Amino acid sequence: MNPAGIPLKEPSVSAAAGDTGQLERAVIDASTRVPVLIFYTSAVAWLILGTLLAGFVSFKLHTPDLLSDISFLTWGRVRPAHMNVMVYGWASMAGMGTAIWLMARLCRTVLRYPLLLVAAAGFWNLGVLLGVGGILLGDSTGYQWLEFPSYAAIILFVAYTLVASWAVLMFRFRRGEQIYITQWYLLGAFLWFPWLYAAGQLMLFVVPVQGVLQAAVGWWYANNLLFLWFGAIGLGTAYYMIPKVIGRPVYSYHLATIGFWSYALFSSWTGMQRLVDGPFPAWMVTASIAATILTLIPVATVGLNHHMTMQGYFPLMRYSPTLRFTVFGAMSYTVFSLVGVLISLRSVARYVNFTQASIAYSHLGLYAFFTMVIFGSMYYIVPRLIGREWRYASLIKLHFWASAYGIGLMTLMLLAGGFLQGASMENPSLAFSESVESVLPYLRGRSLSGILLTVSHFIFAYHFGLMLFGLGRKSTVPTFLNPVEAEGAEAHI
Amino acid sequence: MKGLAPLFFGIFGTFAFSWVGLTVIPNWQIGHLNPQSDEEGTDIYPMPQSGMVQWGAHVYAANGCVYCHSEQVRAEYAGADIERKWGVRRSAPRDYIFERPVWLGKARMGQDLANIGARAPKEEESPSPTGSASPAPQGAAVSSPPPSAGSPSPASLPAATAPVAPRGSPAPKGPGSPAAAVSPSSPLPGGTVAAGPGTGVASPSPAAAAKASPAASPATPPSPAGPPWPEQTAGLPPMYSAAWHHVHLYSPRSINLDSNMPSYRFLYQARRISDARSSDALQLTGSDAPPEGWEIVPTYDAKCLVAYMMALNQSHPLKEVKSSGAAPAASPAASPSPAPGGQPPK
Repeated sequence: MNPAGIPLKEPSVSAAAGDTGQLERAVIDASTRVPVLIFYTSAVAWLILGTLLAGFVSFKLHTPDLLSDISFLTWGRVRPAHMNVMVYGWASMAGMGTAIWLMARLCRTVLRYPLLLVAAAGFWNLGVLLGVGGILLGDSTGYQWLEFPSYAAIILFVAYTLVASWAVLMFRFRRGEQIYITQWYLLGAFLWFPWLYAAGQLMLFVVPVQGVLQAAVGWWYANNLLFLWFGAIGLGTAYYMIPKVIGRPVYSYHLATIGFWSYALFSSWTGMQRLVDGPFPAWMVTASIAATILTLIPVATVGLNHHMTMQGYFPLMRYSPTLRFTVFGAMSYTVFSLVGVLISLRSVARYVNFTQASIAYSHLGLYAFFTMVIFGSMYYIVPRLIGREWRYASLIKLHFWASAYGIGLMTLMLLAGGFLQGASMENPSLAFSESVESVLPYLRGRSLSGILLTVSHFIFAYHFGLMLFGLGRKSTVPTFLNPVEAEGAEAHI
Repeated sequence: MKGLAPLFFGIFGTFAFSWVGLTVIPNWQIGHLNPQSDEEGTDIYPMPQSGMVQWGAHVYAANGCVYCHSEQVRAEYAGADIERKWGVRRSAPRDYIFERPVWLGKARMGQDLANIGARAPKEEESPSPTGSASPAPQGAAVSSPPPSAGSPSPASLPAATAPVAPRGSPAPKGPGSPAAAVSPSSPLPGGTVAAGPGTGVASPSPAAAAKASPAASPATPPSPAGPPWPEQTAGLPPMYSAAWHHVHLYSPRSINLDSNMPSYRFLYQARRISDARSSDALQLTGSDAPPEGWEIVPTYDAKCLVAYMMALNQSHPLKEVKSSGAAPAASPAASPSPAPGGQPPK
């Protein structure tokens, strides 16, 4: 099929006016406007704050004296502040915004109880604000991604309970028997997160487990947050956006089923590989390494499914912002998992344990995969909430390339630096300081990539702001990255 | 997929499987360890922590030390930790049973700290602030100033010249260590290169010194082991003493130019000296030194943080872990060398 001849939107939009399906979707979209936009707006605000903190962290790591005399700007406090702003402020809020919209659409019902969600967004923002403030003032607990002090954690949990109960309520109102793939992932995410968060809080702070098990619970939490919360939302979103934009059903439902259940089963068992050779029973580490290798099953099935769905439609990535971001994210999921397997293997883990490579891994998961998918979904959803189209195709292109190059450069720098650092650390004839010095040039390179990402996020925030203030284009035609008309596809748009 | 029930049960089932497998079962397996003791019920290890140490662990976490420093020694087959003298044996779950929270760490942009307290010079805590002590009082015990300490016996020459000495020699700890036994005095004050154990053994019992040094050097050939990091700097308290930690936290690059550690000056306060310099004032030199009439003293947080670090010590043998080297007994000279001189005084 001539790529230019493919409709770039869901087929129903180009159908005759008065189509009930289209009207229904418009009504549902309108009902989600307020809660989803609140979540998105907060998320973008946190993204900008988190980006500024990230740049600061990155520069301070190779320039340790930069503003180090101020207690709340010391590296060891800004770093967890950055991580938590990104994890709970940006990624979770943007992910929940997308998930809410998807739930309403897929349950095929107008959004009920919007006040629940508005209250949840308010509490969530308050929790993140208090938590980040607490970290900067020296109240961090020190556990990866659980640094928020207890007063902030409780507020987050209340907010979260509101969202989860909304999701369950929505499910009761759903129309139609069929539960689409995306909903499996979303339901999973909504149910896994509270259990995970509660278990982490209880086993670390309320009734702490003894000794080294705290570290095990910490890694179990962090890894499952990455896979079962962010991963599940990201994959679910990709399962919706890719078929939707190209107007073609998912290649295989069967593969999707295998992918989902193997994902739930295996990815939840990973995490302990980060404790390799530590003071733990060997079976724990081995089980996680095995589980990490087994995650190649969901990776293969999900990747194959997306690939076969996209087969013949890849040229559409030239035009559709949503597709470009989403496919980039879906491909990054494969890369993320492969890197995860690579650095889990015992012989490799010995080298890269305790190095910057693990930071490359978490950025691959949280940014290259999750954040890019969410950017894609926002490019799709926001125009449908506001009734305006994105104003500048050039800004979207800039955003994409700055993000793609930025995260690519960051991953390469941290992986290469990590391997080098590990090699010199494991060589006892080199002084320890040399292992630190060997990674410094790569950390400077990482700061460069951070500048690219900062540019991309500011562009996106500006563009999003324009949309929010109603300054988008008034048009029935979505904003394409390249003029489609020039290739003779007017008839389809 | 049709019907919610299978979806719900599947979602809960998979997660319950992971939760039980990775947290509940390990908790059942290693979650209720007791300290070990010998037959008489003495020599209990590990011991509960003091309140200051616990608060120090909190300060450690709150200021993000945990993002750059690990606190675990891996076995010899798994890494260079033991060769780097970060410990004499691998860490075991029992080492951590009283630590709350536990900071195993996730990265090593800085050194491993599992045994940082074990590296402190002997008798560190007892004597007056090392800064105020001058080399003079020790003159009687130490026959000659350190630079010439190597001259009496050629055997101790490597120890004096190679900077490895402070860590290669029977350093780690233990109340019965030979160094402590022979020199109850405080370790040599600043101004010396290779302070501590090397000088401690030098004069009073040359025999022990002669035995210990050659034993130490084959185990840690100076050149391949590289210089220790950081190195003892002139004019500063002995390495890894509490006073040294304070100076290091306050101004890392005054101790090691290559250090990548941020300074933690906000844990210290400057104050005017009222009548005498306080005993815990930092011994700062050069551009870090406060103006005349002022002194820099640690806050309570800084004191707790240092107390926490001084308490990090896994040199006590554990029954379930084979100590590296051939010195399994509670030999104070828990260094890799089976130093014959390391056996006696108990």
